Amino acid sequence: MDEKQCTFRIYRSNIDHDGAECNVRREEFSLAVNARMTVLDALEVIRRDQDSSLMYRHSCHHGSCGTCGMLINGKRRLACLTQATALDGDRIDLEPLRTMTLLGDLAVDPSPLFADFPRNATYVRESEVNRDCRKPFEIDRWERFEDCIECGLCVSSCPVTESFMGPAALAAHNREIINRPERRRELLAEVNTERGAWPCTRALNCSRVCPTGVYPAMHIAELRKKVEEDGLTPAAEPGEQRSAETTP
Amino acid sequence: MSSYHAVVIGGGGTGAAIIHDLRLRGVQATLVERGELTSGTTGRHHGQLHSGARYAVKDRSIARECMQETYILKRIAKESIENNYGLFVALDDEDLEHAPLFMQACVESGIPIKEVPVGEACEMEPNLNPQITRALMVPDGTLDAWRLPLQFFATAGHNGAAIHTFSPVTGFHYGGSAVTGVRAYDLKTRSERTIGADLVINATGAWAGQVTRMADVEIPITPGPGTMVAVRKRLTNMVISHLHPADDGDILVPQRGLSIIGTTQYRTDDPDDIAVPEEDIANMYACADTLVPSFSAQKYHAAWIAARPLVGAASSADDARNLSRDFSVVDHGKSDGREGLLTVIGGKATVLRAMAEQTVDLVCAKLGIDEPCRTANTELLSHRAYFT
Repeated sequence: MDEKQCTFRIYRSNIDHDGAECNVRREEFSLAVNARMTVLDALEVIRRDQDSSLMYRHSCHHGSCGTCGMLINGKRRLACLTQATALDGDRIDLEPLRTMTLLGDLAVDPSPLFADFPRNATYVRESEVNRDCRKPFEIDRWERFEDCIECGLCVSSCPVTESFMGPAALAAHNREIINRPERRRELLAEVNTERGAWPCTRALNCSRVCPTGVYPAMHIAELRKKVEEDGLTPAAEPGEQRSAETTP
Repeated sequence: MSSYHAVVIGGGGTGAAIIHDLRLRGVQATLVERGELTSGTTGRHHGQLHSGARYAVKDRSIARECMQETYILKRIAKESIENNYGLFVALDDEDLEHAPLFMQACVESGIPIKEVPVGEACEMEPNLNPQITRALMVPDGTLDAWRLPLQFFATAGHNGAAIHTFSPVTGFHYGGSAVTGVRAYDLKTRSERTIGADLVINATGAWAGQVTRMADVEIPITPGPGTMVAVRKRLTNMVISHLHPADDGDILVPQRGLSIIGTTQYRTDDPDDIAVPEEDIANMYACADTLVPSFSAQKYHAAWIAARPLVGAASSADDARNLSRDFSVVDHGKSDGREGLLTVIGGKATVLRAMAEQTVDLVCAKLGIDEPCRTANTELLSHRAYFT
């Protein structure tokens, strides 16, 4: 298979004993990549052969766990689903998702992402595939995991600067209302707040960067509509609509 | 609460279940993992929750254990399982000949197996190859290879376990010839940390041999990499398996919006030195199409490879397929004169809880702790609780 020599320019840093980031620098690693290799595959080879101290998150290697989100040539993507040779040029810049807590190099602690997720929300939903087909009598419905893999790319791409629950948590609220309509009132109360569904400016970055087609912006719009349908008083004015002003 | 302290090396599924079990039995517990949790073999799992049917003909006891553990996981870790059952389908006369043996083995292993008329099977799964000649249903399912272990980690963490990621072990501490702790290098702060332990448990799967070598102990473990290929469409709800003796590319697992075919079997000496052989991709597509003919027409999503921890030594890929998928816990005090160190060798994702139970039973016996295992009846916290 054809190979291409690439230079990976990787953000490096670590934290001191007070938790402050230090030793910030960019380091370059040269590697021959083939058409099958993803950016994550390349990081694995770099760590194995060139620098065993390189920090990055990864687990499933097929876009299901959501751990390997990063900035790849300035775009928010999953390293495991980005073919290295499909990127323009032969230099690949890698940076961490700075909206989360940095652990070092490309690795982040995603905890901030989960702060506003609905409590006790299910992660399993009815499968839309063959929904009306015959089922074994042992099960009530075909089921599947939620699309959202909680990678945080949407939150990282959101241009809203004021306090905001963010697209991932809001999408999760709407999904939970769909899954469990009996929680509608409780969950609408959680999102009908100043930092809930209203600060969204409909820049739609979240929907563009989502690697699994969740379309968080659509869920936010649905939540606003549900607030209206239920005759609730909106807790704030909707954020002023604007086009995307940052690169997703 | 005991004052004993155990250190677990390895943040995969086995380590996750062990540290959870240790905490439920009141043992102080610390886990160190060289990278992110489940970044070795666990996270790259195919995703099949095994009823045990695949193993039944060859090994009834492994099959029985898989079935029992599947029932338990469906109870304690609901959010990490798509509970849609699985079909084993016959494609040719050889498969039909294999069917009675397969059914008998399932029955003898306690796996409820049910004949589904071919027409009904195709109504349940319209994308199934219409040429199938027989369909047998078993309680397989799909597991989320990141969220299932994370549920164990979340529960352990909330019960007081200390979990250190990005902390590769660099060596052991000794009192005489006995292991009394580990040295781990914290990549976050670029500093070394020493953690004392009454017992150290090596739960590093395919990497277990590299870890025991640091203590001058050799174990019979062969990393056995296998390839998986995913396409970007969910084609079935049930796990579809080929009704024949285990071979390459004979399991198709649906997961979220994906369909995943696997797997192959190689052998390697270094579980970090694995890459998908290009020829595997076409081979996997062809195998998948025999089960679900529209598989290869879907958009390519990903191909990846994971190193199983096989027990025993193998000199070839064929040898590797014959190695056991069973697990055991080695007490290096007894086998190698290296007290204070245990190694879990072998195993599979579906039986992670049982592996932990057996390991922590041994830990408790060695430390004189009289606490029963409670993990089979303890519902796990949400994976999100790990982060909140």
